[in-house]
Amino acid sequence: MPIIDVENLSKKYPLPDDKSKSFFAVDGISLKIEKGEIFGILGPNGAGKTTTLEMLEGLVDIDGGTAYIDGIDVNANPYAVKKIIGVQLQANEYFDSSSLDELLTLFGALYECDIDVSDLLNKVDLLEKANAKPSQLSGGQKQRFSIACALVNDPKVLFLDEPTTGLDPQAKRNLWDLVLELNKAGKTIVLTTHNMEESESLCQRIAIMDHGKIVAEGTPQNLILKHAPEPPVAPIHGNIEDVFLTLTGHALRD
Amino acid sequence: MFSNVQLHLAKVFLKIFLRDRQSIFFSLFFPIIFMTVFSFASGGGQDPINVGIVNNSTSPVATDFTQLLIDNPIFNVTVGEESRLREELVEGDQTMVLILPESFDEQSDGVELKLLVDAAQVQQLGLIMPALEQTLISMEREFRNIEPMFTLAIEDVQARSQRYLDFLLPGLVAFTLMQLSIAGSGFNIVEYRRKGILKRLFVTPIQPRDFIASIVMARMTIILIQLSVLIAFAVLILDVSIVGNFASFYFIVILGTFIFLCLGFCLGSIAKTQQAVIAVGNLVIFPQIFLSGVFYPIESMPEWIQPIAFVLPLSFISTGMREIANNGASLLTIAPSLIGITVWLVLSFILATRLFVWKEVAN
Repeated sequence: MPIIDVENLSKKYPLPDDKSKSFFAVDGISLKIEKGEIFGILGPNGAGKTTTLEMLEGLVDIDGGTAYIDGIDVNANPYAVKKIIGVQLQANEYFDSSSLDELLTLFGALYECDIDVSDLLNKVDLLEKANAKPSQLSGGQKQRFSIACALVNDPKVLFLDEPTTGLDPQAKRNLWDLVLELNKAGKTIVLTTHNMEESESLCQRIAIMDHGKIVAEGTPQNLILKHAPEPPVAPIHGNIEDVFLTLTGHALRD
Repeated sequence: MFSNVQLHLAKVFLKIFLRDRQSIFFSLFFPIIFMTVFSFASGGGQDPINVGIVNNSTSPVATDFTQLLIDNPIFNVTVGEESRLREELVEGDQTMVLILPESFDEQSDGVELKLLVDAAQVQQLGLIMPALEQTLISMEREFRNIEPMFTLAIEDVQARSQRYLDFLLPGLVAFTLMQLSIAGSGFNIVEYRRKGILKRLFVTPIQPRDFIASIVMARMTIILIQLSVLIAFAVLILDVSIVGNFASFYFIVILGTFIFLCLGFCLGSIAKTQQAVIAVGNLVIFPQIFLSGVFYPIESMPEWIQPIAFVLPLSFISTGMREIANNGASLLTIAPSLIGITVWLVLSFILATRLFVWKEVAN
């Protein structure tokens, strides 16, 4: 049985210019995500990726279709679902004047579970920042801290919304390592991205969304075989990111 | 009454809120300065009124009359030439100048005393004229040997002196608790929404009522500390007296804080932006500043507005607190205020939990 089972899911929003009319931000999508997968949802801005995640997370109402996570109906039982999922949102601001360990303690209290703050910070490599404030963290550290917050309840499924957007290549690769590590530890991970390389090197399966619909789904390899145009006659040796990383090194900068 | 989750969360939130020491400190600035200013303003009593006297008569009556005015503490008398005193009057050094005519003596009958005044000082004249006339009448009685028909003996039955500051303190505490509470919940909620913190909290399984209860408890702890500083300052430094039971006084403070924290939650749920919440917050705060008997008694307001004024939450709170602080009332004797407070308490909590819907508030 898939751990996430989505059938014909849709979400309507009023049009920004004309409130009397509405459009489908998510238009009848179906997905089956297996336990232990890293599943990527790809698409341009406004394709409906975030809305899809927000429906699964219980943040917005489901207007049509059904969604089950680990057998629990999201629509009927959102609070039960919230207990078994971990969420990283695009915006990751917290209470300004609190330290990382205080914030993690807060999340522990919100989930009503005992947590080991040092262990969590250690997992995301932020142990020495326990007394720092979120505003003192770099972009990559902030994202890793958000993931630590999402791990507080030892969730079965981890939702990451554009986790690497705005990060430099070093921080990005460091975050990929973290995601792979968590996946190895048994977490099912669903992430959105518009970074093609990320989906290719990180995700076992991907779905490409556009205008609220899934236009293609499968393993990266299969999708390339099926949809990619013929390669150019003389393939370029590597790409500019390889050049960048060779010149500036792989060492993390934050 | 409170669950373990709520208590634990409250403790965590308290720690988070306590980090914001600056705003905790500065929000006490205004009430403390306000009280200090009032304590100086009401401490000195009325300044004596400057009166110039031009004595054109040589009779002993005129001299006695002048002496009586000099002895009266209400007046600060300067005796001198008419032309010089007139000048001083124009320059504002004298409030008025009294001219005793040559014919002012024992035989005088209906003689006219001329009083020069500066019309700009007209509001003071109402105060001066009765005192002046009183002095003249008592002199007349003395010279003509008439016994007064009656005298007025004033006795203060309250047997303790009450300063305006004593009256002010409960009102000011009530007012401060309203401000701190509404800012502490309402304004903060909007700020958390703007930052996306509410959304992040919403993806955890926390129930709205647990969230509200824990924030209310944490904020209330801070506000009680702030108010204690304010009250301690008033009692220890400014010597304001709280006649009644301190515990009862604090009981009302706690209930009041609870009401306004809940009302703040309502505001934060309705208003979506920082500007909106400040505008709506002022709609709640301002009428209550003027109508709730914070700075002067409700009874002194126009009759038609009193029924409205009486049912405002801040009215019940400030009236209850004042009864305890000024008149030593017990919780039993302020039952009417307590009933009003209880109604608002229930109403505001229900309203807060109804209006605070995660889906609406967080997104």
